[in-house]
Amino acid sequence: MDIMNIDIMDILMYAVYILIFPGLLFTCVFGLWLAGIDRKVVARMQHRKGPPLAQPAYDFLKLLGKECIVPDGAARITFLAAPWLGLASLVVTVLFIPIGGLQAFGTGGDTVVILYLLTIPTLAMILGGSASGSPFAGVGSSRTMVAIMSYELPLILIILAVGKAAGGYGVTFSLGQITLFQYLTAPFILDWRLVPAAIAMLFVIPCEVGQHPFDVGEAETEICEGPLVEYSGAPLAVFKLSHAIKMFVMTALFSALFLGGVTTGMLWLDIVLTLAFCSVVTLVCMSLLHAISARFRVEQLFKFFWTVVSGLALVSLLLVWFC
Amino acid sequence: MSYNVYNVYMHFPVLAIMTLFVGAFCVTLAGKHEKVRNVIAGCAVLISFTLLALLVKPVMIDGNIITYWMGNWEPVEGYAIGIAIEVDALSLFFGLLITIAVACSCFYSYQYMKQDDARGSYFTLYLMLSGGVLGIVLSGDLFNIYVMLEVMTFAAVGLTAFRTWNPNAREAAFKYLVVGSIGSTCALLGTALVYAQCHTLNLAQISAILPGNLNPTTILAFALLFAGFGCKSFMFPFHPIAADAHGAAPSSVSVLISGVFTKTGVYGIIRVCYFLFRSMGLTSVQTMLVFIGCLSMFVCVTMALNQHDFKRLLAFHSISQIGYILTSLGLCTALGIAGGLYHAINHTLFKGLLFLTAGSVLYATGTTYLEKLGGLARKMPQTTALFLIGAFSISGIPPFNGFYSKWIIYQATFEKAAGGSIGYALVTVVCVVTSVLTLASFIKVGHSVFFGQANPELGNVKDPPLGMRVPMWILATLCVLTGLFPDLMLRYIIGPATAAVLNSVGYIDAAMGAGYAEAHLADPSLLAAPQLISIGAWQPASWLVLFVIVLLAVFLCSLLSRGNSARGLESDAKHAVFFGGERAEYSHISGGDLFWGFKHNLRGYLGFMSRVHTGVTNDYVLWGVTATAVIIAYCFVTM
Amino acid sequence: MFKKLIDNAASKSPWLFHINAGSCNGCDIELVAVLTPRYDAERLGFKLAGTPRHADIVVVSGPVTVQSLDRVLRTIEQVPEPRVIVTLGSCPRSCNVFKGSYAVAGPLDKYVPIDVSIAGCAPKPEAIIDGLALATKILKEKREAMK
Repeated sequence: MDIMNIDIMDILMYAVYILIFPGLLFTCVFGLWLAGIDRKVVARMQHRKGPPLAQPAYDFLKLLGKECIVPDGAARITFLAAPWLGLASLVVTVLFIPIGGLQAFGTGGDTVVILYLLTIPTLAMILGGSASGSPFAGVGSSRTMVAIMSYELPLILIILAVGKAAGGYGVTFSLGQITLFQYLTAPFILDWRLVPAAIAMLFVIPCEVGQHPFDVGEAETEICEGPLVEYSGAPLAVFKLSHAIKMFVMTALFSALFLGGVTTGMLWLDIVLTLAFCSVVTLVCMSLLHAISARFRVEQLFKFFWTVVSGLALVSLLLVWFC
Repeated sequence: MSYNVYNVYMHFPVLAIMTLFVGAFCVTLAGKHEKVRNVIAGCAVLISFTLLALLVKPVMIDGNIITYWMGNWEPVEGYAIGIAIEVDALSLFFGLLITIAVACSCFYSYQYMKQDDARGSYFTLYLMLSGGVLGIVLSGDLFNIYVMLEVMTFAAVGLTAFRTWNPNAREAAFKYLVVGSIGSTCALLGTALVYAQCHTLNLAQISAILPGNLNPTTILAFALLFAGFGCKSFMFPFHPIAADAHGAAPSSVSVLISGVFTKTGVYGIIRVCYFLFRSMGLTSVQTMLVFIGCLSMFVCVTMALNQHDFKRLLAFHSISQIGYILTSLGLCTALGIAGGLYHAINHTLFKGLLFLTAGSVLYATGTTYLEKLGGLARKMPQTTALFLIGAFSISGIPPFNGFYSKWIIYQATFEKAAGGSIGYALVTVVCVVTSVLTLASFIKVGHSVFFGQANPELGNVKDPPLGMRVPMWILATLCVLTGLFPDLMLRYIIGPATAAVLNSVGYIDAAMGAGYAEAHLADPSLLAAPQLISIGAWQPASWLVLFVIVLLAVFLCSLLSRGNSARGLESDAKHAVFFGGERAEYSHISGGDLFWGFKHNLRGYLGFMSRVHTGVTNDYVLWGVTATAVIIAYCFVTM
Repeated sequence: MFKKLIDNAASKSPWLFHINAGSCNGCDIELVAVLTPRYDAERLGFKLAGTPRHADIVVVSGPVTVQSLDRVLRTIEQVPEPRVIVTLGSCPRSCNVFKGSYAVAGPLDKYVPIDVSIAGCAPKPEAIIDGLALATKILKEKREAMK
């Protein structure tokens, strides 16, 4: 994409992509919707009525209206800038993921790039927490980093397995090509060789998002929400929003990797279909796990991901290579 | 077709080297006049850099190879008797990154070394080291390379022990000397064997004669040269001395040892494997390089996670990054070489930057021990920003430069895997995991040095003076630029260098006359340059534009909801850190306490690693000798 | 319009921070009961926050012992505006049976203004929900009064 040679219409198009769909506005709204159904479903599974669907949106708006306190011991600039950096990089990440055949920024959609881009929001949280000067945040940052170390190994194995499966005789890192391959054959979730990888991915998603059984870094009952302990007001709101958007990004990534290429022929219907997939994946891997399990300890988390989950992904990689 | 350029450019390489050596002597002549010494050193490095920068156009872009025969001793009857300086794009590439690091570090040390005594000898040794390094990469003569290797090693040992009041520095210098001489000995023996076989020491001529001539002597020579240069690049298992030396030397020197010195080892390995023996076509050599690279990468990054000293941690990371470079070069594909070279230049830039920030921390606080530091971000904002740029670069956070080179390396390894062997896919996995662990260890440094709670014992700490900040900002800017404009880098710098690695025919013909390679090489097109194709695209510049737009949009939204963030007249309790209600007190989570879950699970491995790194010179020598023996045995079995 | 949205949301997502200032644990159990499936205060958006920085409503139970006084006041101070202080049970208002003890510094209203107080020893969950609902209204008023 050449930034220099684009005319007004293109600029408008890009503006729409960046700010409205699938950029800032849409990701925020849809992320909050996913967070909403997650809370509602968990409540229903626990036989409660649960909060209204718009509850995460209320939380977000309320936090915007709260006072923002910067602790005296904090590194002020890093503390205040971290949430915005995280949010911005998440929104940019969305632009690289194909949603129902619509990939806002075409050829750049590479799985390894996304893998690295996805660490930035978490990194922002770690840096922000660490900059706040609280020992709780220090412990939380450390645990969050261990969580990153845990899920990165299975995630790269999954990406390699899918990349090999979609590459035919070669390999590929391109999400566009991966979805195209699925369009030509069948979604990878139906490919028996990739089923273990898909299951592994279902475990990776909540860990990357920081959802319940894997939320060691933000354990609110143990270490006062970890890196977020000193945040209040608008920066906290942005972190909560990022958390919701991450749900969307990760589930959209799952849809692209394993449920890609399902098409009805109409773009808007495809998009709706992808969003439906995202919601379903959220229910399966986040709400279900959240409702039925207790939080992992940090060393259990690491062990679980480097043995069971990585093992599943590795099995897939081997199957793809040799079958 | 002649590659020689008979014009003024021819003299530049030798002048670049000589300026540094002459500067070294002049610095001594200046005696006690500190300003004069500084001016001489500064001029020497700047002239040297300018001379090489002027060569970019003829060598990199026009694709010439400059051959300069010292004393005009040109080849006679097909035998190169004289000493040659031969500069192709590969040599120039290493020469450029060396002089950039040397220049930045030189200006940094004006201020940094102010508190030391015996400063008179500092710049002498410094310029000797720089001259030696530059001599290696520009030289076209195997024995000359060995001589420069020795010059460089001894200057480096002297600089490591420069702060003689520090017992660690003396010990490190001793270890360095002993283990380094294993490498030198191997290199010398290898050189002698090659000379015995080929009756010449000219690199180009050897490259023409030797490849078709694999017998036990040349195999032994190959293994010895490989081990010798490997030792100079501190690859596994020669790495422990590097940690000691980098940690003990003044930071401005660590930049040289880590960013520059190790590169000569890499350069030597490239010359030996791709040129002299043309052995990269053999799967066994590829496997050896990739295997050693992966081991260096993983072992050193886990060792780095265990360190408690800022500079030792950086030192282990150096080797880990060298591991990336070796792995990538070992793939023997255009993409792999490009990735390795790209990572080489990035490593020089970001590791130089990180060592300089470590130096600034040492300068400001008097310690680099992680447990004693904390909360410096408020007092040293610029150093923190510089550190973060360096840390993000080395951990491969987009859009900084480390990401792009790592990304190429992942692609290269994965593509190699697609060619058949699934083993290379696991190499990709090792690379990614190492990258994550690198990030983790820099989070550790960031948290325990710059963020977290301020150590009350560190009283009046502030950013270093301008003279130290400017070189750091230059390196930081280069880190960002090389990350943002990879296309330009690939087209003008990396691409030509990659082509040069695969173009030994051109290298031979430039020195020995056209057609020489055709006549002697059995298979001239064995390592011919294939097209540099990457399997994806990543435009960091446009990504950054996007990022900035989104950031602006987000900020605009945030303006709509300005919370009350101004500090009123409330009590201090409101702005104190939450301690579960207790009064705030100093309780910094220091580096050693981080990543418990990870360390707990890998405690067997990490404990073993700590126990094995005994710090005893005898052990490290044993490792070195064993490694050399294993390499020799491996070469005999498989080649 | 944006401000109105925020003001509306202020009463819809009250996050609690619970301080035990020497309580006998009776009230604390009842507060937890409010969040169980039977009463499910999450319907109204209630959530227990892990740190005072995230909280809107501070719930204090217990007679405020001498040991805890300093901590309670500091923690309340650390809650960002707008905040509502709710006392849970009789103890924080009257010190209940602990009144006169050398170890008790309460009642709480000697030190900070209290917005809602829920009576009972221990109060019934229904009463707690009622009190918290009242607190959300006060929260909204305080939010509108800001600036």
